[in-house]
Amino acid sequence: MTAEAAKRRFREIVPPYLDDAYRLAKWISGDGADAEDIVQEAAMRALAALEAMTPLKPRPWWLSIVRNTALSWLQRHRPKTISLVGDDDETLDVVDLGADPEAALIARDESERVRRAIASLPSPLRETLVLREIDDLDYREIAEATQAPIGTVMSRLSRARGALVKMLSKTS
Amino acid sequence: MSDDARLPLRAHMALDGELDATNTLAFEEELAKSPELAAEYARLQALRRAIREHAPREAAPERLRRRIEALAAPVPVFKRAPWMATAAGLAVATALAGFWAGRATSGGESDVAALVAGYQRAALSDQPIDVASSDRHTVKPWLAAHAPLGALVPDLGADGYPLVGGRIDILDRRPVPTLVYSRGKHLISVSELPLSQSGGGATALDGYHVERWRDSERAYVAVSDIEAPELAAFVVSFRKRASP
Repeated sequence: MTAEAAKRRFREIVPPYLDDAYRLAKWISGDGADAEDIVQEAAMRALAALEAMTPLKPRPWWLSIVRNTALSWLQRHRPKTISLVGDDDETLDVVDLGADPEAALIARDESERVRRAIASLPSPLRETLVLREIDDLDYREIAEATQAPIGTVMSRLSRARGALVKMLSKTS
Repeated sequence: MSDDARLPLRAHMALDGELDATNTLAFEEELAKSPELAAEYARLQALRRAIREHAPREAAPERLRRRIEALAAPVPVFKRAPWMATAAGLAVATALAGFWAGRATSGGESDVAALVAGYQRAALSDQPIDVASSDRHTVKPWLAAHAPLGALVPDLGADGYPLVGGRIDILDRRPVPTLVYSRGKHLISVSELPLSQSGGGATALDGYHVERWRDSERAYVAVSDIEAPELAAFVVSFRKRASP
């Protein structure tokens, strides 16, 4: 495949799903500027990969590159903040959003409460929830984007929601 | 799993539109019978509303969009007088010829330099891998999904080189699958290249040892900070286990 064909494919896949990619990167990294770096690096990987292959399902394929880039980016820059494995048997820490007075003050803002609750989820649960609720992927697409079996996707989603319901009803 | 244990998951599936007609019907009947399930379903719906309302779907910043689009901008086609087109074409052809001639002589060395840089970057970052797994059956499909060459992932655990994972290196703007094995505290990267980029023998660059070899289908480059004889022993083991 020529570089021009790869570019054409890239234009069909990446810009249409750029918002999805940016949101995913921002939720994984927790930071807008980092998300821009991550998406740019992911786009370069995608362009290089497209010179040799055509993905069957462009959107989950592209989002899986974004996700993997975000995870390796975090491990390069902030190795302490991320755990790739071992989410499934742990009990979830439910963050008390009203614990410290300053946080309680901030938490009066409903959007801030929701954001903090989502941000407090362990990485595998958070990315699954974001792909479903914010990027609107279905279970199969999430399984593909996160390279997890569909049963794992379902259990992560239900654990993520269970934790959010607890956190958000606790302080309201 | 009993039907009861599946009910909560079914509430999520119903919410996510993942139930078929038969199961939707069954779920609605359960919902009518069970106040607990109805309450749970209402909580999930409320959570969804809260997320929709309070975690807005943010658009990518315009400057990011411009940068991304610039990566793959089509080459502009100029309409000029015919003599200009010819002159420009000649200039491009000359430039390309120079470029390819340059590549032909220095390609092998620049490949090695790029892969050594990839190894260095990975070793320094504490995160030598994109996919962290000692399981070949995890690493192989991941590499296959992200790079053109189907990576062979030989199991060298019995020879004392456990698999650590894999990553993608970029060579000439193309993704190259790289396997990462360990030897004690040292890492050994093995990148698989197309045959057209094959080379042979042992070299060293910046204190790293490099071994290149090929089989009937692929070319390989191994990079490590272990000593040259140890790397040669690794290559023997790899070639033995990789041969069908």
